[in-house]
Amino acid sequence: MSIVTRVLVGSSVALLAGGLACKRAPVPTLEVIGIPVQKVPTDPGDSMWERAPEHVARLLVQDVVEPRLMKPTTSEVRVRVLTGPGEIAFRLEWEDPVRDDAMDAGRFVDACAVQLPRKLEAEPPNPQMGEAGRPVEITFWRADWQAWVEGRRDDIRSFYPNAAVDHYPFAAPSLNPGSAEQVEMARLYAPAEAAGNRRSGPREQPVEDLVAEGPGTLAPAGKTVSRGKGRRSARGWRVVLTRPLPAGLAPRARTQVAFAVWEGSHAEVGARKMRTGWIPLLLKETP
Amino acid sequence: MARVYNWQIGREMSYWYPEARPKRQFAAVFDINKCIACQTCTLACKTTWTSGRGQEYMLWNNVETKPYGFYPLAWDVKLLEMLNGQRWKGRVYLGQTIFEAAPAGERVLGWTPEAQDYAYPNVGEDDCAGEISRGAELSLPHTQWFFYLARICNHCTYPACLASCPRGAIYKRPQDGIVLSDQGRCRGYQECVKACPYKKVFFNPMTGTSEKCIACFPKIEQGLQPQCFLNCIGKIRLAGWLSPPGQARPDNPVDYLVHIRKVALPLFPQFGLEPNVYYIPPIHTPQRFLEQMFGPGVSEAIAAYRSAPHDPELAGLLCLFGSTEMIVARWRRQGDWVAGADEKGVEVVRVPAREPVHVRAAFDSQRRIMRTNCP
Repeated sequence: MSIVTRVLVGSSVALLAGGLACKRAPVPTLEVIGIPVQKVPTDPGDSMWERAPEHVARLLVQDVVEPRLMKPTTSEVRVRVLTGPGEIAFRLEWEDPVRDDAMDAGRFVDACAVQLPRKLEAEPPNPQMGEAGRPVEITFWRADWQAWVEGRRDDIRSFYPNAAVDHYPFAAPSLNPGSAEQVEMARLYAPAEAAGNRRSGPREQPVEDLVAEGPGTLAPAGKTVSRGKGRRSARGWRVVLTRPLPAGLAPRARTQVAFAVWEGSHAEVGARKMRTGWIPLLLKETP
Repeated sequence: MARVYNWQIGREMSYWYPEARPKRQFAAVFDINKCIACQTCTLACKTTWTSGRGQEYMLWNNVETKPYGFYPLAWDVKLLEMLNGQRWKGRVYLGQTIFEAAPAGERVLGWTPEAQDYAYPNVGEDDCAGEISRGAELSLPHTQWFFYLARICNHCTYPACLASCPRGAIYKRPQDGIVLSDQGRCRGYQECVKACPYKKVFFNPMTGTSEKCIACFPKIEQGLQPQCFLNCIGKIRLAGWLSPPGQARPDNPVDYLVHIRKVALPLFPQFGLEPNVYYIPPIHTPQRFLEQMFGPGVSEAIAAYRSAPHDPELAGLLCLFGSTEMIVARWRRQGDWVAGADEKGVEVVRVPAREPVHVRAAFDSQRRIMRTNCP
C-alpha cells in the first residue's frame, strides 16, 4: 500500500469514527446531571431519556474486601438521570451478551444498583457501602425479580420444566388450599419466607431498598418504596430505578452517587461486583 | 486471619476468626461397619425438614457408597485435587488447610456445585467390581471393597461456611456448637455453598437462600438425639458432647470413643475445619484410602475396634448406640450391663453389655424338620 493510500484510508477511518461519535450524542458528561421533567418515565425505552445527558461511568473491580472480584468484566455503565416532583430516576445501561435471570446452585443473576449517601455532606462516607454512623442508601435491581414481576411461575418447574416432585406436605389433599392449616404448613417448609426474607419468588417490584454502614452490614430499608423496570436487548440491559429524592437534595444541589453492576454468568454476586467510586451528581433547575 | 489451634491436625492454623470454642460441642460417632445404606436416616431428615419447595434434591443427611458414590457429584475428590498433596508427619498435618490454601480474593479454597451435581444422590451405589476369586470384571483401582458413608453437617469447630459468609449470616451457637444459617439475614450469595468442603450447605432457588442441617436443635434442646440418629435401623449413631482433648472424660461416651480409645476419627481432618462427626472406619478397606479420608489414626482405630470382642468396656459402650432417643451424656459398665445417663446423672437407658445371641439348631427335633431361612 502506498503512503497516499494509507493516509486516505486512515482519514476515512477517522471520519467514520467521528461520524459515529456524532450519532451517539449527547457528549458524555464528567458528572451525573439530572434534568427535571413533569413526570419521570418508568420505561427504559421512553424517548424522554434522551433529554438527559449521558454519563459513562467506568467500572472498577471490587477488590477491597473479601470475597473480591479478581477479573474485570463489565467495563462501563451509561447513566442518565431525570427528576420529577419528589423523585429521581436513573437509567442504567450496560452491555451484557448473556441473559442471566434465574438463580440456582452455581447460577447467578444479572443485577445493578444505585447508591447515594443518606446525608448531603461535602465529604461523603466511604463509597464501599458507607461507614459506621454514616449510612448509604441503595436501590437494587435483579433480573430474576424482573422475570417474576413479568409473570414467571412460582414453582420449581419455572427453573426445570421436567422436574419431578413427589410430595409437598402443604399440598396434601387433606389440607384445604388457602386454609389457615395449609398456610401454616407451607410456612414451616420455607424458613426464609417465615423470617420475612423473601429473596426469590413473585413480587410487585423488581427492586429492593437497602441501607448499609460498611461492608457486610447491608440490610433492607424498613420498606421498599422505589420502583424499577429492566428491559433486555440483544446487547445488554437497560434498567430504570426510581426512588424518592434524598432529603435536602433540591435543584442546584449537589451530592455523590455510585453504581454497581453484577454479571451473573461470571458468578458475580454480593461483594463480587463491578462498581464505581463516588461520582458528583448535580440536579439542574431547568431542562 | 487469626491463628487457632486445631487438635485434629496437631498444629496451629490460620482461620478467619479467632478461636472461640462453645461451652459444649455437639458431636456424633458413626460406626461405618454397621451401616447398611437403608437411607432411613435420609428419609427421616427429608420428611422432617426438607420437604419444601426448592428442597426437592436437598438432602441434609445422605448416605453414599465409597469409593464411587458422591452427593453432590465428586464433592470430595474435586477438593482433594484442588488441595493437591496432603502430607502428614505422624499426627501433624504438613500440608495446607482450605483456609491456608485460599486463593487471592477468597477467604476459603472452594468450588460451587451446579444443580445437576445434586441430581444423582445414589450415583455409585453398591459399586464394587466382580467376584474376587474369579478375577474382576472391571479393572478399577478398588476392586474388592466398598462401604457406606452416612453424612450430615459436621457442625465444625472452624466452619468454612461461617468463615466465608461476608454478611455474618452463619453462626455457631455458644451453648452447643451447632452451626446455623440465619434465614432472615442470608441473601443467597452461595459463598457458604462454595466454601463448605463437605457440601452440606444447599442453595434453595425457591426461597433464594442457603439452607443447612440444624442438628435438629429443637430436639437437642430437650435432651433428645436428632431424627437421623433416632431412626437409624443399623443403630450406627450416637449423639453427645465432645470435650477438647485435654478435658476428655472417660465417662462421656463421645470423649471415650474419640479421645480415649481413639476408635472414631474425623472426616477429612486435613481440610482444617475440626469436624465434629467422628467415624469408626470400615475394617475391610485399604488403609491408604482410609488414611486420606480419616487421617493418620486409622490403623490405631481399627485395632481398637477389632479388640472390642475381648474388651467389655468398648463392646459395652457400642451397645448403647441406638438404644435410646435421649442424649447419653454419661455412661458406665456394671458387670454385664451398661447404663447411660443424662447430664444430671439420671439413668435414661440400661442395656446388656453383650447383645444376647441365640443360635437355633438347624434341625427342629419337635417337628422333625430341617429349619431353613430360604423360601
